[in-house]
Amino acid sequence: MKKLFALALVIGLAVGVTACGDGGKAAADTAIKAAEAAFSAASAEAMKYVPDEARSVEGAIAAARAAFDKGDFKGATAAASELTAKITALGEAATAKKAELTTAWEGLSTGLPGVVGAITSRVEILSKSKKLPQGITQEAFDGAKSGLDMINSAWTEANDAFKSGDVAGAMARASTVKAKAAEIMAALSMPVPDALK
Amino acid sequence: MADTAKTGGGSWDATQWYEVKKGDTLSKIAEQFYGDPKLYTTIFEANQDVLKDPNLIQIGQKLRIP
Repeated sequence: MKKLFALALVIGLAVGVTACGDGGKAAADTAIKAAEAAFSAASAEAMKYVPDEARSVEGAIAAARAAFDKGDFKGATAAASELTAKITALGEAATAKKAELTTAWEGLSTGLPGVVGAITSRVEILSKSKKLPQGITQEAFDGAKSGLDMINSAWTEANDAFKSGDVAGAMARASTVKAKAAEIMAALSMPVPDALK
Repeated sequence: MADTAKTGGGSWDATQWYEVKKGDTLSKIAEQFYGDPKLYTTIFEANQDVLKDPNLIQIGQKLRIP
């Protein structure tokens, strides 16, 4: 974040020196390059956590560059000036979204293992049964078994993603696990916990 | 099954419960949930905090179905 502020400051300084002899070309170029550098520093996290906003800022940078290329240095400088606040806000939004997802992940990582354990237990018990109970077809049971394998695999991937810092990726996989777990529990006539609904 | 089975209090609680009705035995309950009366021992083992004898269950008792 400090880096972002520093780069934003560079943009501000560049904008402040537009009164040069080249009609502001050098200042506009410096401001746009600073914005591009600031966006580059923030884009990886921003694209992960606030992709729409990130693409919007990316578009605004492209627009500033296009104005510059057309010789509209005043317009390009003004556009670059507006980018300072946008890039700072983008970084803050990404940080906030990451924190929100991390909190959600903590809830999931506490609750989901118990749910998966309950499904695993039921599948193991039903596997010992001579016939399936009324309301559960062989097809549904086979689907539950294969679904459980998918759940375990996706849950491992989700944990690996979280450990590597990819909170958004971890949450995406965990959502898949949640949906599949709810589907299996319903198929096995198990009560679906509120958190899965 | 749906009318007698419920979730526990926690939002992530996946515990399935069954309330014993008149005429129930653990074997009948096992057949209802697992399709096999011989699996009654699974229910008995999961409820040893409230059951001391698999042949002695009481109407209204809430049993955990693993």
